[in-house]
Amino acid sequence: MFEPDEELIGRVVRQLRRPVTVDAGLDARVMEQIARLPARRPGGPARAAWRWLTRPRTIRLSPLGALAIATVLVAIVLWRPDRRSGPASARAFGFVVVAPRAATVSLVGDFNDWDAARTPMQRTRKDESVWTAVIPLTPGRYRYAFLVNGVSWLADPAAPAARDDEFGAPSSVVTVGGS
Amino acid sequence: MTLLLAVTLVALQAPAQGVDPRLQRLDSITRPMVAALVDSARAAALPTEPLVQRALEGATKRAAGDRIVAAVRRLALDLGHARDALGITTSPPELTAAAAALRAGAPAATLTELRRIRRESLTVPLAVLTDLVSSGVPVDSAAAAVLSLAAKARDADLVEFRRAVERDVALGAPPASATAAAAAAFTTADVQVNAGARQQRPGRP
Repeated sequence: MFEPDEELIGRVVRQLRRPVTVDAGLDARVMEQIARLPARRPGGPARAAWRWLTRPRTIRLSPLGALAIATVLVAIVLWRPDRRSGPASARAFGFVVVAPRAATVSLVGDFNDWDAARTPMQRTRKDESVWTAVIPLTPGRYRYAFLVNGVSWLADPAAPAARDDEFGAPSSVVTVGGS
Repeated sequence: MTLLLAVTLVALQAPAQGVDPRLQRLDSITRPMVAALVDSARAAALPTEPLVQRALEGATKRAAGDRIVAAVRRLALDLGHARDALGITTSPPELTAAAAALRAGAPAATLTELRRIRRESLTVPLAVLTDLVSSGVPVDSAAAAVLSLAAKARDADLVEFRRAVERDVALGAPPASATAAAAAAFTTADVQVNAGARQQRPGRP
């Protein structure tokens, strides 16, 4: 039913050894077909960049790499614009109040969480009735007041009063600009 | 990638769930109400720090809980109105100053106009506007003066303008007249002059 292997191989070899004759007009016909194809539009750098950007890719990421990227994202999410406070943009601001009979005076305001223990004021050497404190403030509008002897609230007589005083004790306003 | 998404989602959820530890200074009834207001503000992309500070101010001044909650709620509303007037790209200090200006009676249209004419931060112009109104200057006069200066004046110039008005008012000038006169003086002068130099003007303490 099947030819012996040697006979089959011999026939294939004879076929392959036969000279091949190519039509003399083949080249011309091939070139004519190519010329009929629609010309490709020239792609500039923008088109190449677009192709590069839109080409689907498979990204391989190690668990460690994924963790690093997640850490960066968490940092971005937790970063709050209203918590921004950089020492680079902070300016030293001096507060002065005259309180002759005070034993202690604290500067309390939006800049220290209204914590009376955070910014105790100091008596000046020249005049013991004058109390001062210097704190760094970033640009913004701050409400503040002086707390005398831990019980009496005193607005800054040298600063604008806080109009929206809702707690029955006076406050003042300081505005720090940037220009 | 699943891990990445999970961690990101946890991070996004965390701020809404955690209560600012500084609010522990409030009593147990007031604290959750203020925390809810803070969370709402955060969800609305409003700055929360001014709300926390207002609550802490009330706590330190030993105000009643309902007054603290009312003050924080009012400030949150003012911040929202301020953002409506100034736009979503407004910085937290600008919003805080704008909320105070609105509370003082400044029209929202004035805030919008300020945003349109001034490229720099609006914090100081808004604060000056508020302070002028607080010192007795009619809102219309204060708004007109600040708008006339805001396009070119530096922050320091605007602060000096406010001081000039307050000095004149303290010397007995009607607030509206003092404001108009000071604004005219600053408009005609070169506003790039060092602001501190103006304090040396004769006739002023």
